[in-house]
Amino acid sequence: MGSKHRIQITVNQEEYDLLVHPDRTLLDLLRYDLGLTGTKEGCDEGDCGACTVIVNGKVVTSCLILAVEVDGTAITTIEGLHQGDELHPIQQAFVDSGAVQCGFCTPGMILTTKALLDEIPDPSEEDIKHYLEGNLCRCTGYTKIIDAVNMAIHQLK
Amino acid sequence: MDNFSIVGKRIPHRDAVEKAKGSAVFASDIKLNGTLHGKILRSPVPHAQICNIDISKAKKLKGVKAIITSKDTPQIKFSISPTWADKLILVDKVRYIGDEIAAVAAVDEETAEEALELIEVEWEELPAVFDPLEAMQPGAPLLHAAVENNISKTLTMECGSVAEGFAEADLIFEDTFQTQAQSHCSLETHCCIATCSPTDDVKIWVNSQAPHPLRQKLSAALNIDAAKIHVATPFIGGGFGSKIDLEPAQAICVLLAKKTGKPVKIEHSRKEQFMTTRMRHPTISKLKFGVKRDGTIVAKQAEVVMDNGAYNSHGPAVMAYNNVMFSTLYRVKNIKYEGRLVYTNKNWGGACRGYGDPQATFGQEVMLDVIAEELDMDPIDLRLKNANIPNEVTANAVKITSCGLKECLTQAREASGWIAKKAERKKYRGLGVAAMLYTGGGSIGSGFNYSGATLQMNADGTLHLLMGAVDIGQGSNTILTQMAAEIMGVEPETISLTTADTDTTFPCMGTFGSRVTFCAGNAVIEAANGLKQQLLENAADLLEANPNDLEMKDKKIFVKGSPDKAMAYAEIGAASFYKKKKPLVAHGYYNGPEDVSPEFDPATYRGYPAPAMVFGTHLAEVEVDPATGKVEVLNFTAAHDLGRAINPLLVEGQIEGGAVQGIGWSLMEDLQFENGEIVNPNFHDYKMLTIKDIPKFSPLLIETIDPDGPFGAKGIGECAMVATAPAIINAIYDAVGVRIKELPATSEKIFKGLKDK
Repeated sequence: MGSKHRIQITVNQEEYDLLVHPDRTLLDLLRYDLGLTGTKEGCDEGDCGACTVIVNGKVVTSCLILAVEVDGTAITTIEGLHQGDELHPIQQAFVDSGAVQCGFCTPGMILTTKALLDEIPDPSEEDIKHYLEGNLCRCTGYTKIIDAVNMAIHQLK
Repeated sequence: MDNFSIVGKRIPHRDAVEKAKGSAVFASDIKLNGTLHGKILRSPVPHAQICNIDISKAKKLKGVKAIITSKDTPQIKFSISPTWADKLILVDKVRYIGDEIAAVAAVDEETAEEALELIEVEWEELPAVFDPLEAMQPGAPLLHAAVENNISKTLTMECGSVAEGFAEADLIFEDTFQTQAQSHCSLETHCCIATCSPTDDVKIWVNSQAPHPLRQKLSAALNIDAAKIHVATPFIGGGFGSKIDLEPAQAICVLLAKKTGKPVKIEHSRKEQFMTTRMRHPTISKLKFGVKRDGTIVAKQAEVVMDNGAYNSHGPAVMAYNNVMFSTLYRVKNIKYEGRLVYTNKNWGGACRGYGDPQATFGQEVMLDVIAEELDMDPIDLRLKNANIPNEVTANAVKITSCGLKECLTQAREASGWIAKKAERKKYRGLGVAAMLYTGGGSIGSGFNYSGATLQMNADGTLHLLMGAVDIGQGSNTILTQMAAEIMGVEPETISLTTADTDTTFPCMGTFGSRVTFCAGNAVIEAANGLKQQLLENAADLLEANPNDLEMKDKKIFVKGSPDKAMAYAEIGAASFYKKKKPLVAHGYYNGPEDVSPEFDPATYRGYPAPAMVFGTHLAEVEVDPATGKVEVLNFTAAHDLGRAINPLLVEGQIEGGAVQGIGWSLMEDLQFENGEIVNPNFHDYKMLTIKDIPKFSPLLIETIDPDGPFGAKGIGECAMVATAPAIINAIYDAVGVRIKELPATSEKIFKGLKDK
């Protein structure tokens, strides 16, 4: 397994100084070491997007990244979006649009939307579909997810 | 129009905030101190007798706490019905790649996996059979020794006389249609955590669609008193039928917890999920229709071979549903159905959204398109000509109450611009239509269709609702509290909930058969009406008035005309606890319908006893790329007779999600086997639709107000995918003249069809 490595990361604006095994994925670090279980494991192969988090402003599938690779980065997980009881406008838009059914894909969907709107505040429908293509959802059929992104765009303006 | 203040409103899912914050706890998120990790040794071969299992090396591995094999499990077979039971929890003869052989509990996942590799299994490999038509032949390898020709079940039904019907017909149509295996692909895989107390009380947290039946099945399969099993459900990440049956992993988890005295967690990997989730049964359906020149269908017949995979699970019931749905759609006097459910050495089939209906509807509705073309009749007119109508009994003795099939057809035609687009005839573009029916509230065919609810008033006047029903994402928690809130005159979000917990809630059959809205809804209404009555009686007592003179408003009760002397719910609640010492609580329990037809046959489901039937029409507009055969679905109109939309926002979500699952099955989803091995057990090779692939949706909510439904509502969950495939296949034909009869309609098949023209 090899000896543990020391990494320093910022997760949801909180700093962590951690010792991790070289084969520990970022997903397992977040879920099992830091208890941030809002990040979901849907396939462990980088195909479904349920484990999406934002690392230095870019979306990544945390199941495909090793914890040692994110040393020195700033990470946002779903738990870092709302301020107490106040939801982030994107979270609120997902709730209000009926874009949440079973909710297993929801954290990943919301974080991908966050990265999209941080980068392109006024995206076209094509941009939205391009960004969210890697996030699978079996429940909603995606229509209400597009509604949610459009509502969030409007709210954030 | 009824004037409701909460029912019929677009209210977001009550659990959506927690889910959007990432704080909703799913099974995999539960963390108990000292949890061991369970892993299952699965068969790498499709058919073999196990001669010996040597666990000695694995046992010695540091961190391994328990290993179990077939010897450690009761030799009790299970299925959804005891009469079809054919599967042991851990087997001594493997029948498909993935069959459970042994299991390990260890301190972590890595150790458990390492231990699996150290278990030595000696086999005697047996010849295997993968094609159901081959499996039926004399001399084919037998999966289950006592089952001749691998035919698990033969189902034959004739109503009227098809011979007479075909003789009477002006035209006869015959064709064969094939459907493929589909996997449910809930984003959350199967997961459970079990504990066992020193007094042998078992608790399991599990993502089950049917926690109460699961308790019974665990009890039967493991020979444990059901009263000593507590099934609890955390949030559930989708099901689509995959989480109804007892999963061997759940029983194994309990056995390992009993053996070690520690909490044990088992979670399927995505590959395991594909390997072992009971797939949608593939079918080969030979259809024959007899039709009059005016479009009247006078006889129809189906000969179906259904690929059961290695074990029964829901198979016999899925085949019966295949019959019911084929036979009940349209007013046809002469009907014949012959079905054979055939074992093969593949992953087993099971409940999958639609339960045999999508397979039946695909063939029938493509056939109707063929007929319409031959008769030079508009496909919608042909369907209208034969459409079911309200308040009739069909030739196969199915009682239909509310029925909006004609409204679905006409409104879908209107909303889609069918007539104008058909006239315009854009090149490579096509329109296709398909109708469907399904149950809108489960069925009492098994003798059971129960759902219970309890509504209680707390001392502070707030309400607590306890229901056996489980919300797997479809939104039952939201709509059922809406119903209670409407009756009690409170805001739905103020009602707290306990659901789907076998120790605290009345039993519910579970979330399947599009039954929760109807069955649990009726239970909730009964409980709420009971509590309302108690509340009024208590208020009458406190106000020294007659209950009939009272009015309820803004969570207060007062004598009509005297709102100034009102009793608040909080005062009545407190008085019930502290003065009267008789807290207010009411129960509701549904188990219907009661008027089962005397013609009901539990084998064929002739006289199928559903409390209500739902109807729908899907209308697809596609564009086909002639250079590649690729289909783009542009627009999709989905009209559903759902009785009443308790919550239009949520029901639209059900329709859109179901239709997209249906589009996936139509065009690309195909669980593929090579020598019994699934070659695409991942989301990379098994193609689900992404956000890029979806059409523009127009869901149409047709409200027929069912006489027996809660607020007139009927179920919708499964119905939403049933008519999708034939609508798309018919649209492809309309676009380019290629008729696909074997799903999925891949680009390759369409391209070949274009070449061969």
